Amino acid sequence: MSARRVGLLVAGVVAALLPALLPHPFVLTLATQAVVWALLAASWDLLSGYTGQVSFGHAGFFALGAYGAATATKHADLSPWLGLLAGALLAGLVGLLAGFPALRLRGHYLALVTLGLAEIVRLVAQNWLALTGGPFGIHDFRSFPGLPATALGQRQAVYLITLGVAGAAVAAMLWLCERTRAGQAFRAIREDEVLAAHLGINTTGWKLLAFAVSSAGAGLAGALYAYYINLVSPVVASAATTSLVIGMAVFGGLGTLWGPVLGAILLFGLSEGLRFVGVVYNLIAIGLVIMVFVIFLPRGLAGLRSSGPGALRSSE
Amino acid sequence: MLDTVLEFAIQGVVLGGLYGLFAVGLSLIFGVLDVINVAHGEFFALGGYLAVGAIALLHLPAGAGVAGAALGAFLLGLAVYPVLIAPLKRRLGRRPAGPLYLVLTLGLSTFLQSSLLAVAGGDYLQVQSYVRGILDLGVTAVSYQRLLVLATALVLLLGLFAFLRFHRLGLAVRAVAQNPDAAQAVGIDLPRIFALTLGLGAALAGVGGALMAPLFNVYPAVGFPLTIKAFAITILGGMGNLAGALLASFVISLAEAFSVMVIPSQWQNLIAFVVMIVVLLLRPQGLLGRARTR
Repeated sequence: MSARRVGLLVAGVVAALLPALLPHPFVLTLATQAVVWALLAASWDLLSGYTGQVSFGHAGFFALGAYGAATATKHADLSPWLGLLAGALLAGLVGLLAGFPALRLRGHYLALVTLGLAEIVRLVAQNWLALTGGPFGIHDFRSFPGLPATALGQRQAVYLITLGVAGAAVAAMLWLCERTRAGQAFRAIREDEVLAAHLGINTTGWKLLAFAVSSAGAGLAGALYAYYINLVSPVVASAATTSLVIGMAVFGGLGTLWGPVLGAILLFGLSEGLRFVGVVYNLIAIGLVIMVFVIFLPRGLAGLRSSGPGALRSSE
Repeated sequence: MLDTVLEFAIQGVVLGGLYGLFAVGLSLIFGVLDVINVAHGEFFALGGYLAVGAIALLHLPAGAGVAGAALGAFLLGLAVYPVLIAPLKRRLGRRPAGPLYLVLTLGLSTFLQSSLLAVAGGDYLQVQSYVRGILDLGVTAVSYQRLLVLATALVLLLGLFAFLRFHRLGLAVRAVAQNPDAAQAVGIDLPRIFALTLGLGAALAGVGGALMAPLFNVYPAVGFPLTIKAFAITILGGMGNLAGALLASFVISLAEAFSVMVIPSQWQNLIAFVVMIVVLLLRPQGLLGRARTR
């Protein structure tokens, strides 16, 4: 436990000092994206890995957050700080609403419904021209106030803001899962929902909470993405986003939250590194990583650490 | 008015044939293996590329292109069980798979799609119609290519249903779908049936891709939206229910075709997903399905 704390501390310090250690716009751009992916992967894991309610629709929640934030700033002239909140709230609300029907569904069916939901979000983003700008999306909205004037300074500041917000959100989710009754309930639901209900756990309420928190986290990631890249288009809602984030989570280790964070950063780095070899090879590699890890290492990188004999879902 | 209605009806029926080829295979795979094949659309794309390659590059006749597409998709589908699904099954043993097969085939989908992109590039490819000419119906007209799509789809599906009903292997496939343990107990080679089922489903999708190549463009991601839509169709038909999947294909395709009279055409793709969510909430077993615990 204390080794983990030291590790976390070192990782946090390195991440915070990155703008000073490697003051290069390209590096910071990649680092900012990696942080956004990490938050998205952790959010997906809270619902799918930790609570066992598999979502194939996190691209939709991510897009809702991005569009919510961009619209709030562009049309309502809301400060980006409030825009982050607006994006997260919008995604969390839709996630909560999606949670109600999803309560009756399990496994395959839940995955398919959430996939359909994301596809609906994508089609609305693509076709509701007046609000979403259609295929070209929303652009030219302001970013965080009071950023430095230089291009490098802006990159550094936006990276630190993204890191701070995403780091706080992941920490909050970790706290929820590991330090509160919610985490125990989530795990109980994942392991045996019927048994959990018989033990007096309010499975309905906790599942809805997991839906709301997870989709709000994905929405927050989307909002951070929107302010960093200053362009939101329907592409973000495509199923490729979901498959990438699931790949990251599987790579890192389901049901641990920190595994998917690590998986997101490593897989994003791998995929960007492979860009130099050829743009298409990074996605081939991600497909391979997903297949190999699902078949041989379903507990991901996180599972390599503890050498317990093959318990599939033990996250202790 | 009549000609418009008739035209939409023809469009819907032709599209329904295509959806049927695709969704019946998907439903068959689910019924037999209990696996939702997220990579189904990539077999469709592969079929399209094989047809384009055979016809445009090798200058083979169209029939050979379609046959080649069927064979290529069949062989690749055949390999999916022994290479991917069997190892996962072995490792899991009797433990529940949860969403692992979904994630596994999602990885396969990403892998195949980007491999097609690496090999063939991202250009939108097209081939000339396999059959020329237009059938004049008086009030409206329909191209022979579209009729060919519909006729081939119906003949193949009829063949599939006959195979499942009368052929020894087809009976074995149905036996495995009903009860794998009992099927194994009477000497049916389960891995062989699983591999064959995936091959058959993939071949149907591959033929669909080859038939549509002259009507649509062929590009690496061409199949994925179809996969998502086919999920909606198979849910409407009742998962694992083949006749239901066929019926639902025509319900959705006709609803899409006629929706243009009521809503702007760019919204028609929404119909399938709204239908899917409504069906899952009101009648999760689908149109023809019986309630069961799976």
